[in-house]
Amino acid sequence: MRSMNGHIVAFCCEHSAYPAADLAGKLRLHYPESLRIIRVPCAGRVDVIHILKAFENGAVAVLVLGCEDGACHHITGNTRAKERVKYCNMLLKEIEADGRPVAMFNLSPNEPHKFVRALNEITKRIKESGR
Amino acid sequence: METKIGVFLCNCGGAINNIDFDAAVKEIAKLPNVTCVNLSPNLCLEEGKEKMVSCIKDENIERVVVAACSPEFQEHIFREVLEKAGLNGHLFSMANIREQCSWAHDGDVTVKAGELVKMAINRVRLLQPVEKKELPVNREVLVVGGGFSAINTALQLSRVGLRTTLLEKEAALGIGNEELESFYGFDTSSMISAVEVDKNIEVLTSAQMKEVKGKIGDFSARIRKEGEEIFRKYGAIILATGYQTELALDSELKSGLNIVSQEQLCRMLRNSGLETEPKTIGFMFDFSDENSRFPTLATLNNALAAKKKWGSEVYVFYKSVKVDSEGMEKLYQEARDRGVVFLKCEARPRITADNGRVKIEAKDFFLGENTILACDLLVAEELLLPSEGTETLSSLLNIRKDSRGFYQDENVHLYPIASEKKGIFFIGGCRGDLDLGRVLTDISSVVMNVHELLSSGKILVEIERVKADPQKCVACLTCIRVCPHGAIQLVRTDNSKEVAGISDLACYACGICAAICPAKAIKFQGYRDEEILAQIEAI
Repeated sequence: MRSMNGHIVAFCCEHSAYPAADLAGKLRLHYPESLRIIRVPCAGRVDVIHILKAFENGAVAVLVLGCEDGACHHITGNTRAKERVKYCNMLLKEIEADGRPVAMFNLSPNEPHKFVRALNEITKRIKESGR
Repeated sequence: METKIGVFLCNCGGAINNIDFDAAVKEIAKLPNVTCVNLSPNLCLEEGKEKMVSCIKDENIERVVVAACSPEFQEHIFREVLEKAGLNGHLFSMANIREQCSWAHDGDVTVKAGELVKMAINRVRLLQPVEKKELPVNREVLVVGGGFSAINTALQLSRVGLRTTLLEKEAALGIGNEELESFYGFDTSSMISAVEVDKNIEVLTSAQMKEVKGKIGDFSARIRKEGEEIFRKYGAIILATGYQTELALDSELKSGLNIVSQEQLCRMLRNSGLETEPKTIGFMFDFSDENSRFPTLATLNNALAAKKKWGSEVYVFYKSVKVDSEGMEKLYQEARDRGVVFLKCEARPRITADNGRVKIEAKDFFLGENTILACDLLVAEELLLPSEGTETLSSLLNIRKDSRGFYQDENVHLYPIASEKKGIFFIGGCRGDLDLGRVLTDISSVVMNVHELLSSGKILVEIERVKADPQKCVACLTCIRVCPHGAIQLVRTDNSKEVAGISDLACYACGICAAICPAKAIKFQGYRDEEILAQIEAI
């Protein structure tokens, strides 16, 4: 495992979170520079291995950002992602690495403020876990 | 031999001003496999694209990374550039250094931009080409339903040259269209005769769909008509099954009293020889069901007609009048001008029998007083429900319904007339309470969509973008179960092994199957595990 490099990895659904992040940039809403966004076609594409590998590569936190509940472009993608995030949290707890925050947030493409709020919340959690 | 990667940076005509591009170019040029790094102020304009094409050709570049704005805007444009230069459009990745780097942060972000480019380079190295191919589709269309919207759709489809089958479960077309005819002055019977003489339209009455298999361009349906089984192939299916209404009344009130539905009143108004004309008529709507667009419209039309024909006193009890359809505000104003009395009540009025008349007790919201009205005829509140066959049809086609039992109308991401399965569309009443204007819009947009899909008889699609490896697939059916678009079916390979086959036509490329496959047999080009992990490793 690489040492922590302080990055936050966010898997962004190209139907909601990715445009929201673009909009946040356009509106000059500032968020942590340590964010690295990986574009996925649907939050349901994100697998447990992707999240765990991100930690292995030194991420401090991983975010999975998908569409709002009931408004997923691919019907069930966001609910599947939520379950996987839950499962990841369980795995991390089992190997006693539960200080590493993984979270799923739902947002719409026109909600850049919610995108920034999600990031602020995860940074708060990182601070709480003392890293 | 090593892959040659070309990196194109764009400073967006100076809009990206907090990145030191010269330093970034030097840094990126040091990365492995990077053959050339170009900086341009206007990559997406014609001259920028031309330069890109010539550079790709001159340097024999095999894969391309563009570091510029968001792929949401320009990805398809750069893909076209690649194709022009003779490369496959999928051997391409974008680094979003404008919206998600330069504009989102203050101060110098050269380091972050460099890292984003590195992520894209790592991804592009692993990308594989995806070929495009034209696949044949069946040009026939099935329209389920026999009402106004179905007939109109069939006529319009025939006009654009697509053969259509109308499937109606009743014995004749156009049953239950009296309301429409008297409200809007439509002549349904002439439309029906136009259907009957149209060579492009086949009418199957007293027929029911029993089974549907396949996907867009190739649906095969089993239809039962009067004990006979008919097998047909269609390119697209349009559902125009309409809605039904039910009176929102206590069960003991349903019989014996002078309580009618809007449709019954409409029929009474059309027939001339009525024994006694009702002197006082009460209407009710919007108490049990908030979706009261259609009941409101029917009330206003019927109230006005009763005023004109019988000169009756008309009282309307309502919770709120929603006049969001075209011409409805005017209709409401006209009704008020002609002396229709509107009484707003918060609670549902109490209805009792009173010597052969109907007694309505309600508390007027504005007066705050109880109002008692004895009327000769009450037009009860109507609830809109999906028509009888909706349940069966949706399970046959395996499409979802919303919380009210109509075909899905709640998922904001999906086009209102399109279902989650490609090639299946909805029109009109079967997807909620719509007025005529909205139904007509539905019809034209569905006809346009179907025309675009089927008219040429073939669709250009990306072949094997998502594919299950027949060596690895164990036919566990997980992907078939999870695919939200019904694009996966079991197919037999040459050596008679059954594996998951993903239809290129029906696939939306969401990658849910690729994530869930326990055998990791499904490869989604562009978002394979390797490609996502390569980006993570670059961080």
